[in-house]
Amino acid sequence: MSKITRRTVIQGALATGTAAAIPTGIAVHSRPARAQAAKQVRMVPHGDLRVLDPIWTTANMSAYHGAMIYDTLFGYDGDLNPQPQMVGKHGVSDDKKTYTFELRDGLKWHDGTDVTARDCVASLRRWIARDGGGQHMMQRVTDIAASDAKTIKIVLKEPYGLIYEVLAKTSTPLCFMMKEEVAATDPNQQITKHIGSGPFKFVEGEYRPGSRVVYERNAAYVPRSEPASGIAGGKVVKLDRVIWDIMPDAQTAAAALMNGEIEFFEVPPIDIIGALEAAPGVKIEVLNKLGNVGYCRLNHLHAPFNNLKARQAAQLAVSQDDFLRAAVGNPKFYQTCGSNFTCGSPMGVEDGSDMLKLPMAQRQARARELVKESGYDGKPLTVLHATDIHVMNQAAQVIAQNLRQVGFNVQLASSDWGGVVTRRSNKNPPDQGGWNVFFTWGGGNATASPINLFGHAATGQNAWFGWPQNDLHETLRNEWAAAANLEARREITRRMNKNMFDYVHDIKTGQWVAPVAYRADRMKGMLAVPEVVPWWNVERV
Amino acid sequence: MAAYIARRLLATIPVMAIVGIFVFMLLHLTPGDPAAIIAGDNATEQNIAAIRARLGLDRPLHEQFASWVWNTVRGDLGISMFSNMPVTKLVLQRAEPTIALTITTLIVAVTIAITVGVLAAWKVGTLLDRAVMGFAVMGFSVPVFVVGYLLVYVFSMKLKWLPVQGYVSIDQGLWPCLRNLILPSVALGLAYVALIARITRASMLEVLAEDYIRTANAKGVATSNVLLRHALKNAAVPIVTVIGIGVALLISGVVITESVFNIPGVGRLVVDAIARRDYPIIQGVMIIFSGVYVLVNLAVDLVYTFLDPRIRY
Repeated sequence: MSKITRRTVIQGALATGTAAAIPTGIAVHSRPARAQAAKQVRMVPHGDLRVLDPIWTTANMSAYHGAMIYDTLFGYDGDLNPQPQMVGKHGVSDDKKTYTFELRDGLKWHDGTDVTARDCVASLRRWIARDGGGQHMMQRVTDIAASDAKTIKIVLKEPYGLIYEVLAKTSTPLCFMMKEEVAATDPNQQITKHIGSGPFKFVEGEYRPGSRVVYERNAAYVPRSEPASGIAGGKVVKLDRVIWDIMPDAQTAAAALMNGEIEFFEVPPIDIIGALEAAPGVKIEVLNKLGNVGYCRLNHLHAPFNNLKARQAAQLAVSQDDFLRAAVGNPKFYQTCGSNFTCGSPMGVEDGSDMLKLPMAQRQARARELVKESGYDGKPLTVLHATDIHVMNQAAQVIAQNLRQVGFNVQLASSDWGGVVTRRSNKNPPDQGGWNVFFTWGGGNATASPINLFGHAATGQNAWFGWPQNDLHETLRNEWAAAANLEARREITRRMNKNMFDYVHDIKTGQWVAPVAYRADRMKGMLAVPEVVPWWNVERV
Repeated sequence: MAAYIARRLLATIPVMAIVGIFVFMLLHLTPGDPAAIIAGDNATEQNIAAIRARLGLDRPLHEQFASWVWNTVRGDLGISMFSNMPVTKLVLQRAEPTIALTITTLIVAVTIAITVGVLAAWKVGTLLDRAVMGFAVMGFSVPVFVVGYLLVYVFSMKLKWLPVQGYVSIDQGLWPCLRNLILPSVALGLAYVALIARITRASMLEVLAEDYIRTANAKGVATSNVLLRHALKNAAVPIVTVIGIGVALLISGVVITESVFNIPGVGRLVVDAIARRDYPIIQGVMIIFSGVYVLVNLAVDLVYTFLDPRIRY
């Protein structure tokens, strides 16, 4: 073995340094030449695109990705009416049990092959396996089949009034169409190929999880002739490339927008909206008018909230005003709401919510009485407290304080959101790893449907976390799904909303919107679509 | 020396094993279920259980550990639970920005710190010395993210000299790359400069009081020669030690700096992975960081022999 001297050490160090300086085996984060193209926008979305399968997960980022590269059979327009999208002609039989959808001409996958009815049938089946609304529909379905290359038939056991609404929905997971070979993937496994027929193509080679996602215009896409509206209408692409820059730091993203390094910032924190509004060229706009709805979920399985009076006491105690002031701050962007189905939506009725209008002192006095009547023994309530997300952090503290004010003994179980997500699924009593209260929020659009949102189910052990059970509520949900028209549904929703307040399904903590910030001096044409950020119709100026 | 290097490299095996056990146990005993996070907000318990089974998280802990160790020994750091991409590929995708940031910071920080440290020792007790030491205290006290935001405000928002965020690969040109690295390097390097400058000053003061320095001055050797050839070289061993120790400081600082300046490096990769309990990524990156730290310390030990021929292994 040769002797190692000081000289060889120095030579080795120099050689190592030189090698490190040459970008060889290490994948570089180069900026492709095409990225300099003029028709390009850079957006900072609210999170990271972690999962590329928008059927497998309900994550909004995956739905955004899906809306870029996939298309849907139907889509909601700007007025929340379902409209055909990939479908051309469509109809329903006289007995309302057979729906026929014919694909419109010119639909092609990104690999150049034709979109067929078989692809769509396979996609529907996979989506149904993952979606609450789809499963609700499937309970009434006898058969879904391709009767020819372009025609899909859905045969029902009984009339079902929600077919178009369920297929058009923009709450996650959306009913995206995929190639048959991809849609054949086990619904419990993620897809590995990303071939859509939508207006943009996914540039897989430039995908950097946690950092960057790139899309290119799909030149072969044939848009509908109607003007774009919501997620429906003509998806005319006027950009060559759309880049999502994942930025974990909101201050950095805001500074980058003001400095012109990005064009679109999806969720600027409310407290820096003022600074952004004052910046030249920057526009603040609320695109998702239905915004978000806060939920305080009570655990119906264990004391004290397995007792109706204790739940009613909590409902009286939790103040929407307190929560909204602490979590959102700026009244311009929030509102109190007495609907379980999103104020401002077609189902946003407020029947049964009169107690929300009472003065807080009166509510608290009544709540104290109910706490006593419930036989609450003073055992500490466990409120799950996610400290790493601003709204969650504020919410848990406000809720805890509200509950203390009416006589509940409350302890916060603090962790990050990951810890809350794990613990909330635990059905054990709170002192054995379970919980009494946790807070989360959902999209106003998803919340607006009694069927599509899993959290609206009151099926006890099979319901969402908190496990509420109420037979009348389930009967009303089924009636709602079978109702013939919007007015009939709205009437049923009135009864449903009142009943939800009566048995205290959960406690809604108010509604707020998240404005976007963008460079109006560089781009125009953003569409207002709940729960999706569409990049068709957008052009550089 | 070859035998020494071989021994040291072999000694890294138990160190890495302990790190591996510690990281694995820490992660798996911390509350938080990646399956629940992956499943999303509308998941049922059945959905979560199915994901847990698919990821192998329902197996006994010792089985999971044995499987991870076996794969790691074979160089397979596993597959990300969320992106379904190999951890090795994810780390390599993120390595270049982190290496570039670390090297730039090291070069800038060491150059500045040694210069000001030597000057402070030379002009001990003067205004310059006090200014350098005041700066060092401040540099060590102000968090990286505060410095980062201040730099962005002044140099990007007000003066418009440098970009707010992002990383440009060196294959797009040296200046575009450096332009994006200047602010993060300064922010990240400030504490490092402070640390090295203080040690340099202290070490230099000790050496400057030696008889041979007085002799050199008496012989009329130029001040620069006295400082750099006679004093600094003899004061270098503790300085190199601190530079090595400071690599840990840099590694932790990289995590914050990459977030503030939106640099898509390994630091951000691991922060994101921790937030969503992506065990394979966290374990893989921790093992790599530990390995780097062990190797840096080995390199420091070897540099001693160059700086001080009396040191032999």
